[in-house]
Amino acid sequence: MRPRIKLSRPVGEIGNNRSFVKAIRCTVWPEAKPNDSTAGHQDNASATGENTVTTATQDSEMTANAAPTGNLEITVSRAELLRELTAAQSVVERKTTIPILSNFLFEATQDESGDRLTITATDLDQSLKTSCAARVKKPGACTVPARKLYDYIKLLPEGDISIKLMDNHWVQIRAGRSNTKMVGMARANFPQVPEFPASGAVKLPVASLKNLISKTIFAISNEESRYTLNGALLVLKAESMAMVATDGHRLAHIEKINEQLEGVQGEKKTLIPRKALGELSGLLSNTDAETIEFADDDQTLFFRVGGRVLTSRKLTGQFPNYEAVLPRDNNKFVIVRSEDLMGSIQRVAQFADERSGAIKMKLEQNEVKLSSSSTDAGESEDSIETPYNYEPLVVGFNSQYLLDFLKAIGNTGEVRLEFKDAQSAGQMRPEDGNEDVKYRYILMPMRI
Amino acid sequence: MAEAEQTRLTPPNDFTAFLGNPSAVEHLRTAVAHGRLPHALILAGPAGAGKYTLALMLAMAVECERQPRDLWSNGQSLAGFCGVCRNCTRIATAFYLDEEVDKAVAAREDLRETDKKETRVLIQPHPDVLIIPPDPPQLLIKLGQVRSIIQSAHYLPAEGPRKVFIITASSFMKEAANSLLKILEEPPETVHIIILSENPGELLPTIRSRCATVRLGALPVEEIEMLLRDRRPDVPPKQRTLIARLAQGAAGRALGFDLASYTAARADAMLLLRQATTEPDHTALFKMTETYRAGAEGQQKTAALLRTLTLLLEDVLLIQSGTPELVRNTDLRAELEHIAQTVSFQWIEQASRSLDQVWSGMRRNLLRSLSLDAFAGALATQR
Repeated sequence: MRPRIKLSRPVGEIGNNRSFVKAIRCTVWPEAKPNDSTAGHQDNASATGENTVTTATQDSEMTANAAPTGNLEITVSRAELLRELTAAQSVVERKTTIPILSNFLFEATQDESGDRLTITATDLDQSLKTSCAARVKKPGACTVPARKLYDYIKLLPEGDISIKLMDNHWVQIRAGRSNTKMVGMARANFPQVPEFPASGAVKLPVASLKNLISKTIFAISNEESRYTLNGALLVLKAESMAMVATDGHRLAHIEKINEQLEGVQGEKKTLIPRKALGELSGLLSNTDAETIEFADDDQTLFFRVGGRVLTSRKLTGQFPNYEAVLPRDNNKFVIVRSEDLMGSIQRVAQFADERSGAIKMKLEQNEVKLSSSSTDAGESEDSIETPYNYEPLVVGFNSQYLLDFLKAIGNTGEVRLEFKDAQSAGQMRPEDGNEDVKYRYILMPMRI
Repeated sequence: MAEAEQTRLTPPNDFTAFLGNPSAVEHLRTAVAHGRLPHALILAGPAGAGKYTLALMLAMAVECERQPRDLWSNGQSLAGFCGVCRNCTRIATAFYLDEEVDKAVAAREDLRETDKKETRVLIQPHPDVLIIPPDPPQLLIKLGQVRSIIQSAHYLPAEGPRKVFIITASSFMKEAANSLLKILEEPPETVHIIILSENPGELLPTIRSRCATVRLGALPVEEIEMLLRDRRPDVPPKQRTLIARLAQGAAGRALGFDLASYTAARADAMLLLRQATTEPDHTALFKMTETYRAGAEGQQKTAALLRTLTLLLEDVLLIQSGTPELVRNTDLRAELEHIAQTVSFQWIEQASRSLDQVWSGMRRNLLRSLSLDAFAGALATQR
């Protein structure tokens, strides 16, 4: 007996599970070749603007891979180390019983372009590699417990810190009059981190990408069973970039046109897992670079932000055909000030059913009425005066979903609400006159 | 756990190293060779039958970089593993499961108090192979562990062609079992989930129906005796027969059999039985039950006692039903026959039920010595 759950499609579901877009195929992962990332990289890197840091990172990666062992001994400034540790530590899994994953990998290298310390963190699905300048007495590699080290370095006063690998994986950390020893693990146990591919990288503008992420990330599904929705789809074309995220009840779609992307032919669709997207947006807000490099292979996505490289495994499965659910004939619309709408929703939502958060939106002659009622809390109504000359309409929405959108656009300016009828998806758009950015948010109605 | 009893065995470097059940193993190897190893698989068999070893071998066969194939006489090709590539060697590091579990538990102890509660024991010998042992101290598979399976399953494999998840026990928390259902129903193409079970009946019927089951059957006593002669020359021939019978057809169990600790547990078990059937001697009884204390050591000791007791009851039943040739504790035959005459079938049935109650009491952390006393008392009054 194989009990199957029937897939019904209630109002409030986006996406047709049957018609998937073709996106990801899986093949055998080629063993990462350490020295793949050489000349091609440096060219790309020096063009990004942060020449010194990036180029040096490349060099150090090379050398580190050539000679990853040895008892490392370095001196590094606390400020620089802390900056890089802060960037790397968010990747480290806090709750893991796989000891090596709670460690940083430190690799110290020496060459003509200067001494570098490269720091790597991974949770096997994501990895982050970053580096900073250091005085290297002895090149080598070691692993250090991530959390303890981070917390300890935070407490140290400004100044130089010397790090030395002793026998049996003990790591000595000295700063001023402080002296600490921590025990790491064998460098050989540290998982292999995929290297940025030598070719095929695309440059993406930081500002636009940051905007795309912040406008969609909140709509990504949290439900672990709908794993193809556990990420946002990045759609790159030669002259535009777009991002889509949905959880089956709402969908956020944003497209930036007039964006010249070199190296993109046709249409390139990539599903980026939520966790990686979160890391990426963190990196983007901490960089001065204007562009980042993005590349992928069969299993992995790569983002190079300044001197840091973030990788993420791809997800299995394919993102649903979202284009089919974008509403086309929503011919009734109303424009309201974002602040007014937000205020009204927040007030009315206090009296909505706690589980569903559903509120009613009533469109009447030159008026939008928001109302809610629940058996325990009572009922509430707010109305906003605004031009509306179509047939009256009553439609229910999840108040939280409405608020998410208003927050994403910064709660400023005006928003345009577009409807067809009470059973069809509603659409929200910022009414900001920006021709280059097309942002739309599609919401499934609720039966009330 | 069977692995606990084993003396230091080396990780296998070939499928031929697997003892017994050649047809089941061949079947699985052909499946791997043709790329149709079931996405969800239950390996069932008694403790020590080699479930975990076989699961690791399968994981190596799936992930091996070289993918060696043996050609069978009938033209079938059988998947193997090289045992020396980076994928194989890393997976083989998980061979000593208990040590790895201890390390993971120690790692959890080092966490901050707030993180400790939500952290579950997982073992990852290879980026694409995740081993999920029952989470101590309750020794159940928990929701957090199943969640990590689900999350990790939806990422593409990193270094091998597939992701393999090995769940080493079939005792699930209810929520964990339920949440496993979803991924068993629609496993991503790149995922294999192997559940090891001493008693598949313990699993939800809905889990069983979603998995292919491969049973590792008991080996004949003669075969185990031969095995013992080859691999454990230290065991005197006299004991060989006894061990072969006591191992209940499980090769791994026979090889790692510790007769001394078994006889110690059995002496206590016999005391309990005698207490119930012949002359009650409460002083001896209480002295004995007092040695079953709290803590991990007491837990193992109690488990050993209860297991031997089950075996003894089975033997008594075998004698009663006229098949004395199947008796396992051959060295105690005379005494067992005596007990068999004094008790009824109903008594044995009752005894086995009370034994189950003691087991469930252990899981609820009842005081061990008291539960054993109560058990002995119940046995005596039932007669």
